[in-house]
Amino acid sequence: MDKVWREIVKNRGIYLFLLPTFILVSIFSYYPIISAVFHAFTEWDGVNVRFNGIKNFASMPKDDALVASIPNVIRLALFAEFVALTLPLLAAVIIFHLKGEKIRYFFRVLFVVPMLVPYMVILLIWRFIYDPMDGLLNRLLMLVGFKNPPLWLGDPKTALLSIMLIGFPWVAGFNLLIYIAGLDNISPDIFDAATIDGATGFRRFFSIELPLLSGQIKLIVIMTFITQLQAFQSVLILTNGGPGFSTMVPGLVLYQNAFHFNRMGYASAIGLLLALFILILTIFNMKYISTEVETITR
Amino acid sequence: MSHKLSLSNMGGISFLVIIAIFTYYPFLFLLFTSFKDLSQFYHHFWTPTLPLRWENYYNAWLAIRNYIFNSLIVTSTSVVGVCTVASMSAFAFARYKFPFQEVLFYMLLILIMIPGTLTLVPSFILVRDLGLLNTRWALILPYISGGQIFAIFILRTFFSSLPEELFEAARIDGATIWQSYSLIALPLSRAILGVVAIMNVLNTWNDYIWPSVVISEDSLRTLTVGLAYFQGQYQTQYGPQMAGYVIASIPLLILFFTTMKEFIAGLTSGALKM
Repeated sequence: MDKVWREIVKNRGIYLFLLPTFILVSIFSYYPIISAVFHAFTEWDGVNVRFNGIKNFASMPKDDALVASIPNVIRLALFAEFVALTLPLLAAVIIFHLKGEKIRYFFRVLFVVPMLVPYMVILLIWRFIYDPMDGLLNRLLMLVGFKNPPLWLGDPKTALLSIMLIGFPWVAGFNLLIYIAGLDNISPDIFDAATIDGATGFRRFFSIELPLLSGQIKLIVIMTFITQLQAFQSVLILTNGGPGFSTMVPGLVLYQNAFHFNRMGYASAIGLLLALFILILTIFNMKYISTEVETITR
Repeated sequence: MSHKLSLSNMGGISFLVIIAIFTYYPFLFLLFTSFKDLSQFYHHFWTPTLPLRWENYYNAWLAIRNYIFNSLIVTSTSVVGVCTVASMSAFAFARYKFPFQEVLFYMLLILIMIPGTLTLVPSFILVRDLGLLNTRWALILPYISGGQIFAIFILRTFFSSLPEELFEAARIDGATIWQSYSLIALPLSRAILGVVAIMNVLNTWNDYIWPSVVISEDSLRTLTVGLAYFQGQYQTQYGPQMAGYVIASIPLLILFFTTMKEFIAGLTSGALKM
């Protein structure tokens, strides 16, 4: 014990280097995590706390908003997965195999620039696109002869679909960059050998690119799930979960309980449940994140 | 052979061009509409019109300049904070051996796995109890605290990859950790710090939920929150509204075209953060 203590004293300069980090995380990370787990088992309005066991969790099946939010978030997540695995991957492979450094660079930049527009602006643009009277989409539909175009965000039958379609055609985004980084990492020899063997197009895609990108693909599948499980900014801005509960998602149920109904304990319980799901996914994910970090910092 | 290749290039390019048209059309429409008054908007919905209503930009600028200013302050302070704090810790973890090193590192690593939804409510109450609601600290301190984790992860990988000879001589000469850090490590890490900085600029600049719950005072609102509010104010005045969106997009575009290489790396690694 004495020896360890002497080691610590000897290395005090190093601990001083770590001090700012650990002061910050103690206050702004560890404390809120402990608080969240504790308050998930309480009735809490932000001031008064009363322990109520698992009552928060037990009352979840009776919460119409939360119950409605689950199929919605599953649909949104599955759709996002489908999108993430198709168009950006196809575009990345096409860009990667273009002949000519300049044109490859041009398309890369072309699909990065839209990512610089703040996400809030994107959401507000889509709100305009979906506007029933003045919006881009319905103006177009009326132009080609539709008398009663859909209300999009205003109709429970189309609202969730409208949320899914935000960001069409979904190529300019993080996923494209991750796929391209993965392709850059494949040894050129492999492609040369494939060309000599006459493997191009589809054959090359299925026998070389798809297997060698499997790390990136798994990463994207898990990341997309994690993001979708907690995301609620777009529904908060565009529909507030409505009409009815047609676009309600768990994150928004949490938000509304905490900041509109002052039910902080119940909100913490929802947060804890979401976190457990996400934690399981993240543990699988850590391996792929580490490899990616090494690729980028190389 | 070459004929076949250029043909495949053409197919690929047409696909990319179609995608690009769909991607960019809404932004072009935004740009055209931002120069229209209401009558131009209703009578010439699909086409650009003259005269250009520059006053839309003037009005939008007056409405959102303060939000941009707030975002600039919050983002730059947070980013400098993240780079300082994270590079110090990462350096200590990467180049030294000391008791409890592993435990401490895993205590940080585990935070990458904690989703923001778990801590949203308690963090809000914490910031309220610290008396920080409606101050810039309510944004800056949590952004530094949260942003440093992934930054430490990236920077540690980088510092570990530096050759030991660089530090050996200094260590033999009795250099302190501070001297090794500031005189040897930092000057070599400008590029990677740029990547970390840009990753954090994007996260802070785009964040909406957290600033919307801790800031209610209009004079302190950041850009994302201000834009949502601004949209409500200018309901159907599409010209000034869209001009505001264009202005809001300019700062990151400038940053991008001045730091392209770091920016793309920052974007890519930022995608890995939750």
